[in-house]
Amino acid sequence: MHSRKNQRDLTRTEKKRLVDAILELKRSGRYDDFVTLHRQYYVTDGESRPRPAHMTPSFFPWHRQYLLEFEKALQSVDPRVSVPYWDWTRDNTAKSSLWAEDFLGGNGRPGDRQVMTGPFAYRRGGWRIRAEVTDDHFLRRNFGRPSAPVTLPGAAEVDRALGDPVYDTAPWNSVSATGFRNRIEGWGIRGGRGIANHNKVHRWIGGSMAGAASPDDPVFWLHHAFIDLLWTRWQKAHPRARYLPARALPADDPQRDRIFPLDRPMPPWDVAPSQLMDHTRLYRYV
Amino acid sequence: MNPTSGPGEEPAGAPRPVRRAVLRAVFTAAVLAGTGGALAPVLLQGQGPGGPGQERDAVGPERFSELYKGREIRGTATTVVPAGAQAHAGTSIAAPAADVSVDGRTLHVMRRADGSYLSTVTHYESFPTLLETARAAVDELGTAQLSAVSPHTI
Repeated sequence: MHSRKNQRDLTRTEKKRLVDAILELKRSGRYDDFVTLHRQYYVTDGESRPRPAHMTPSFFPWHRQYLLEFEKALQSVDPRVSVPYWDWTRDNTAKSSLWAEDFLGGNGRPGDRQVMTGPFAYRRGGWRIRAEVTDDHFLRRNFGRPSAPVTLPGAAEVDRALGDPVYDTAPWNSVSATGFRNRIEGWGIRGGRGIANHNKVHRWIGGSMAGAASPDDPVFWLHHAFIDLLWTRWQKAHPRARYLPARALPADDPQRDRIFPLDRPMPPWDVAPSQLMDHTRLYRYV
Repeated sequence: MNPTSGPGEEPAGAPRPVRRAVLRAVFTAAVLAGTGGALAPVLLQGQGPGGPGQERDAVGPERFSELYKGREIRGTATTVVPAGAQAHAGTSIAAPAADVSVDGRTLHVMRRADGSYLSTVTHYESFPTLLETARAAVDELGTAQLSAVSPHTI
């Protein structure tokens, strides 16, 4: 049992331990395996393959297990470390201590979006990303996307999602217009709403976080720890609500084999959503 | 089984059938046209009405080439619609083969159930057309070039 803290409450020592553990995973090559895994399981709902991670009811449990695996890897380097969460409704500017020199470093520079400050700046020597999206090996950020400005989601946007009493709805993908899951995952609905919450945060950071190799930016883990916490908050707000779908869909439903109902094991860990409903035996949020 | 069963099924306002080709708005095109505005209807090129073994029709709904913010963007979509496919809400009936490039380098695109596109550069936001997808990628890239070795994720 360990605790996950709000990143704004970390001491200087805690930040340094976390950064050092991340850099060590990078050095050993294990970090890049996590980046690859996320990319591998990012299947869109335009495809007919199973999609455990995105545009799907198991968005929350899949990422919970993904974070647990990452946290386990961090703790194999330094057992005192855990993944903190970033409450982007509160620390919502580029001036947040999250982006300081002693933690994640700041925005990318104009032009190539290269992050020039902090421990993950390319020139510091410890953070060379694979050139999978662009030709460059440096971390990129583009806060607020000035070309078509986007702001971080506020508390009202999160509250709208938390207020939805139903976990997820048909057709169980990115076009589900109601349900807590897609309100947080945040896909835009044609003729309805624009992108929200989870997706909007990826867009606000921009650069690497906006693309197919988003875990290249270590803020990915802090963002998803907050997403994980929001799931817990939703469960507390709706104690009688359950993960949906609870059972396999009917044979004639095109989504039947593409999504993960409560007891269907998710790749690559063979862990079912039902095994991840309650995290309190593993970690708690403080 | 015949996917090009004639003008009787065409929505009002759809282009008239032309020689050996039937223009027909399918689900994705209707969605795209409704939001994209400037999109041409899908062109279904029948390989002979009712021909035996005819399972797929090739479609060319979108093609562009332009200079955007100093970058050369090009795109061609070839949408393959299975014969007799029905438009389910939330179900993509079209398996697209899209070719999009920025300065000659491939921009890999994926598709959502509503027919919109995302790319490896903008993975958390989708766009109604390939053109908008390519422009959004340029906006996000800044001066960076796409990777020459990007793994294909479709």
